[in-house]
Amino acid sequence: MSEPNVTDVTAPASQPDNNLKRSITGRLLFFYVLGDVLGSGIYVLIGSVAGAVGGAFWIAFAVGVSVATITGLAYAELVTKYPQAAGAALYVNKAFKNRAFTFFIAFCMLSASFAAAGSLATGFASYFIEVWGLPPELLLALVFILVLAAINFIGITESVVANLVMTIVEVGGLIIVMIIGVIYIAQGKADFGTLVEFDTGGKSPLFAVVAGVALAFFAMTGFENAANVAEETVEPQRTFPRALVGGMVVAGILYVLVAMTSALVVPIGKLAGSDAALLEVIKADILPIPVGIMTIAFAIIAMIAITNTCLVALVTESRILYGMAREDVVPGVFSKVHKNRRSPWVALIFAALIISALLLSGADLERLVAVTVIFTLFIYALVIIAALKLRHQDVDEGTFSAPLILLVVGILGNAMLFGYVVYTDPTSLIYCAALLGVGAVLFVFEHFFGNRSSSASDMGV
Amino acid sequence: MHILIATDGSKQSLTAARQFKSFADPQKVSDISIVAVIRPLAAVSFADDLSNLTPKQVAEQSLSFRDAAAGALSVIAAEFANWGPKIHKRIRSGSPANEIIKAAKQLDVGLVVVASGGRGISSAVLMGSTAQRVQNYAPCPVLVVRPKPRKKAKASATS
Repeated sequence: MSEPNVTDVTAPASQPDNNLKRSITGRLLFFYVLGDVLGSGIYVLIGSVAGAVGGAFWIAFAVGVSVATITGLAYAELVTKYPQAAGAALYVNKAFKNRAFTFFIAFCMLSASFAAAGSLATGFASYFIEVWGLPPELLLALVFILVLAAINFIGITESVVANLVMTIVEVGGLIIVMIIGVIYIAQGKADFGTLVEFDTGGKSPLFAVVAGVALAFFAMTGFENAANVAEETVEPQRTFPRALVGGMVVAGILYVLVAMTSALVVPIGKLAGSDAALLEVIKADILPIPVGIMTIAFAIIAMIAITNTCLVALVTESRILYGMAREDVVPGVFSKVHKNRRSPWVALIFAALIISALLLSGADLERLVAVTVIFTLFIYALVIIAALKLRHQDVDEGTFSAPLILLVVGILGNAMLFGYVVYTDPTSLIYCAALLGVGAVLFVFEHFFGNRSSSASDMGV
Repeated sequence: MHILIATDGSKQSLTAARQFKSFADPQKVSDISIVAVIRPLAAVSFADDLSNLTPKQVAEQSLSFRDAAAGALSVIAAEFANWGPKIHKRIRSGSPANEIIKAAKQLDVGLVVVASGGRGISSAVLMGSTAQRVQNYAPCPVLVVRPKPRKKAKASATS
């Protein structure tokens, strides 16, 4: 293992590559994606989706999952070309080469993640209250965010093993739900007619499904965080597309099956009215285990799932802020790293504050989900456009190439959903504007008061 | 003897390297491996406070933690330029303490040099301090370079 004598200390940065050791294998990446996707969705908002569509709400999950997975293909293609930690901002920068626009996208990513973390905190509090009945919910959500920020600061969840265990627990929870479904069907109680019922309050079924998809879409967000570990993935060109798309497809299948089970086992009205809807499936008391124990166990599983995804959201946020501070587009304090823990503590505190502000603003779960979805759809559509624009650039034999037709379908799907959410919930736009306003303030502040250490032309976060 | 010097990109790790150099005999050191560990799941996988001291390098490129690690390695390596022993720069990925210990075993080193950034409670209370774990599990002697106490140090009451 000996290398040449490095007396020339100006050796290129590639020098250490003689001893390249990357730690994220394809399998670990698969579980990272799966865990991240699962936690964001079904535990939190299955009730809302059921309420929007009726018994056939699994269709909403199926469509949402498909559009997201197509977007995942575009991400996979771009990651195989640019395996760096920045994600969408980097791709948009490569495709459009416009500094201001890149900043805008980076801040959209940040805002999406803030709103997502807010939704997750609300979902966490709902499950917590179901078990321990400790109001007030808002306080719980705030404490949850603060604790997660502290955990990220200390860094105890950085263990790859912890991540793996949490993902297995998350999948375990959904498998419990499916076992209940199988038993229920075996007992002959299932009425399969429910699965094609629309309860849309006078709207056309198509409209109802779109409404459901817009919500269900939230369940698939989080996969883009896989870019966080792109740089540390073993053979990214080979493993990344497989692990990313594989994780999403498995998550999608689980979602559809769980949605079907819930529709069969619990009356739709009850699902729609519940803040912790998957618990209703458990409470149907079908397993031969005391329902009290099962309820607590399942609520804990749900909370672990939500926590896992929310932790990753905070990592992503502080990382985006850190990156932007290093590029001199937001004030430099955000790149401050604690000298002992090596965590970006200013960025973490800022993220916790913004999420708390969102929670205190009185926005309910569905509003926060809508805000997340608006930002995410916009980013996803742009990422696909970037993938198309960069199609013939930086290609080598290992580059993954997504089917063109699917990418076009993906853009249309994202654009259509975007239009729908904006049309039906215009109030969300106020929240979007407020979040972007925060970004504008940071940008202007840095522009006039920051001491620019360089005149960078290239900006990727 | 082969020496392993770990860096997390902190200034304290540079201080540790200098501390080692201040008393070590270059005749007796055959190789120095400088090791930087990237933490893939951390908010900031690797923060390079060392080459930041010359600010023009920042913002040239999109955020790459590998570049950051390489930057820190180069700064530490520069400390030992023309000192004698062969210098190896190594980047690893994973949990810092584990990777440092693994590298120490693989390279069969005679001494590990690490910095401990902790003063007072933060290092005593919080688990997972890298320096502490390296001390406990390293296959060889460990030099832990602690920061200088603050002006009126109360002799680390927590330890």
